Amino acid sequence: MSEIPVLQVEDLSGGYSVGRPVLHDIQFQVNKGEMVGLIGLNGAGKSTTMKHILGLMSPQRGAITVQGKKREEDAEAYQSSLAFVPESPLLYEELTVREHLEFAARAYNVAKEDYEERAARLLKLFNMEEKADSLSMHLSKGMKQKVMIMCAFVARPPLYIIDEPFLGLDPLGIRSLLDFMIEMRSQGSSILLSSHILSTIENYCDRFIVLHRGEVIAQGTLAEIAEQAKLPGAALEDIFYSLVKGGD
Amino acid sequence: MELQELRRKRKSSFWSKVLPFVPYVIQSGVAVLFLLLLLAFAAWYTNFLQHIPPGLPVLWIMLFLLGPMTVYSGFRTYVQPADIIFLLPREADMKSYLSPAYRSGVIYKLIGLYIILILVWPLYIRSDVDSKPLWLVMLLLLLLKLLSAYGSWQELRLTTARARMWYRLLRWSVILLMLAAWLWQPAWKSSIFTVLVGVNYILALRFPMKHAVPWDNLIAAEKTGAAKVMMWLGWFVEVPADGQKVIRRRWLSSVGNRMPWQRSTAYRFLITKTFIRSELLGIVARLTLLGMLLTGWNGASWLGIGLYLFFTFLIGAQLTSLHQIHADSPAAAFYPLPAGAHKAETIRLASRLLLVLAVLMWIPLTAASWEDNLTWVLLSLVLAIVLVWGLKATWVKKWKEEDE
Repeated sequence: MSEIPVLQVEDLSGGYSVGRPVLHDIQFQVNKGEMVGLIGLNGAGKSTTMKHILGLMSPQRGAITVQGKKREEDAEAYQSSLAFVPESPLLYEELTVREHLEFAARAYNVAKEDYEERAARLLKLFNMEEKADSLSMHLSKGMKQKVMIMCAFVARPPLYIIDEPFLGLDPLGIRSLLDFMIEMRSQGSSILLSSHILSTIENYCDRFIVLHRGEVIAQGTLAEIAEQAKLPGAALEDIFYSLVKGGD
Repeated sequence: MELQELRRKRKSSFWSKVLPFVPYVIQSGVAVLFLLLLLAFAAWYTNFLQHIPPGLPVLWIMLFLLGPMTVYSGFRTYVQPADIIFLLPREADMKSYLSPAYRSGVIYKLIGLYIILILVWPLYIRSDVDSKPLWLVMLLLLLLKLLSAYGSWQELRLTTARARMWYRLLRWSVILLMLAAWLWQPAWKSSIFTVLVGVNYILALRFPMKHAVPWDNLIAAEKTGAAKVMMWLGWFVEVPADGQKVIRRRWLSSVGNRMPWQRSTAYRFLITKTFIRSELLGIVARLTLLGMLLTGWNGASWLGIGLYLFFTFLIGAQLTSLHQIHADSPAAAFYPLPAGAHKAETIRLASRLLLVLAVLMWIPLTAASWEDNLTWVLLSLVLAIVLVWGLKATWVKKWKEEDE
C-alpha cells in the first residue's frame, strides 16, 4: 500500500466571491520528505491556494487533506500538522523574538527541552542571537521574516507552507534557510514553497507546480515539466516563461 | 492638493469613522452609569464645599489635578506611513500641514485644563490659603501649556530615543516646579523663577540634534493617538484595539515565563505578555493607586465603600478592552491554539487581575477603619467580590453571544 500524501489538494475551486472562483480544479499532492515549488506570475493564485490549505479560506469545491485529514474533521490536529511562513511577516509587536519562539512552541505542543535546543540553534543559524530579546516592532523587515521562519521551524510539523520566504532576507539568511529546509526534508518533513526566484529553487525543489490564471498548467520534476513545455534540458526560468507565454 | 486641505480631509475621514459609534456610547449602560456617578459627585462636591475640613491640603490637590493636565501634550497630525514617500519631497512646505495640529493640540487640551480649574476653583478660594486671582492663574496655565506644547514638539524632533526620554523628564520637572512655585510662593518670586527656569529650558532644547520633520516619530505618535481614541471607544462598544502603543517595561519581562508548559497556556502566554507591555496596564495601575488613595482617605464610610466599588467597576470596565486584543490577528488563525482559548484566557486574566486589584484597594480602606467599623470593612470586600463575579459572568455571557 502506498503512503498517504502529507498534503492532498483535490479538484480545488475557490476564491473571494462565490460566482467568480480564482482557483479552478487545482489538483496536486506533496509527499513525505518532498520539497515542492509552487510557481506562477503575480495573481496566478499561489497565495490563494495557500490560504485554502491553511483554512483561512473555504473551498467552493474540492477537498484538502493534510496527513489524510480534512480541516473540518479535526481543526486542531490539522493546524498542528502544518506551519506557515507568510509573504509579509505577521508578528505580535508586544512579543520579543524569543517570546515568539516560545509562543509558537507552546502552541505546537513542543516539549520544553526540545524548544530550548531548537530555539538556540535557530537563533544562531539565522544570526539573531543579539536580537533575541528585542521586541519584534524594533526589527528590520528581513529580521521579521527570519522570526517567522524560525517560528515555523521551532514547531517541526510534518508540513511547511512557505510563501516567498526570500523577500528581504540577506544572502546569508537565504543560504541558512535553504540549508535548513534541506535538513528538514532529509528528516522526513514536506515543504510547499512559493517563490519567484526560480534560479534558486530550481536546484532545491524535487517537483514543481506551475499555476497560471488559477489553473495548474504543468507539474512534475524539472525534467517532466521541461517535457511538457517541449524544452528538454532547459532551465526552470525558460520552461516557466515558455509555459506561461503559451498559456496566454 | 494643498497640504492644509489634505490634513483637513484626513481629519474628517478619521472622525467620520469614530462618530457613528457615539450613539452606541450614549446607549451603553456604562455611559449612563458614568452620568449617574457624575451627578452623585456633583451632589457630594457641593456638600463638601460647604464643609471643607480644616487643614485640607488644597495646594497639593491643585498641583495633583492641574499639574499633569498642564504638562500633558499630544498632537493629532493624521500623518500616514506612506507620507515618507509621497510627502517627503514637500518637507519644506510641511509647516502649513503641521501648524494646525500644533494649534489644536494646545487649544483642546487648554479647554480641558480650564474646566478642571473652574471645578477646583471654589475649593481653592474657600480654603484658608492665600489665593491668587482667577485671571492670573488662567494666564499662567496658558503660558505653561504653551511652553509644554513647545517642549513636547521639540522632543518629537529629537533624533535619539534616549534624548527624548530625558527631555520628557525635564519638561515634567520644569512645568510642575513652575506651577508649584506659583501655588506656594508670592507672585513676584514665582515670576522671576518662571522666567529664569523657562528661558533655561528653552535654551536647553536648542542643544540636541533634531530632524527638520520627524517623520518616523510623527507616524508613531499618530498611530498611538488614533489607537487611544479607539481604546476609549472600546470601553463602551466593540471596536478593534489595534495599533496601541507598546511599552517595553523590561522590569516586567519575566512575568508569564513560569506558566505551565502546555498547549493550553499558549494564548495565556501571549495575552499576559501583551498586557504587561500595553497602555492598559498603565491606566489600570493609575486607577488602582487613585482608588487606594481615595478609599484610604474616606475609610469604611458609605462614600469610601461607594468609591471602592466604583473603582473596582471602573477597572473592570477598562479590562474589557483585553477582549479586543488580538481578536482579529491573522497570526492567531494559523497557530494551532485550542478552540475558545481567546475568550477563556481573556476572561481568566481579566477576572483574576480584577480580584487582585480589588483586594489591593481594600487594604487602605481596612487600615483606615479596621478598629471602628469592622462590619463595613468586611462587607465592602464581600461586595467587591460579588461585583468581580458579576462582571465575569457578564463577560462570559456577552462574549458567548458575540461568538454565536
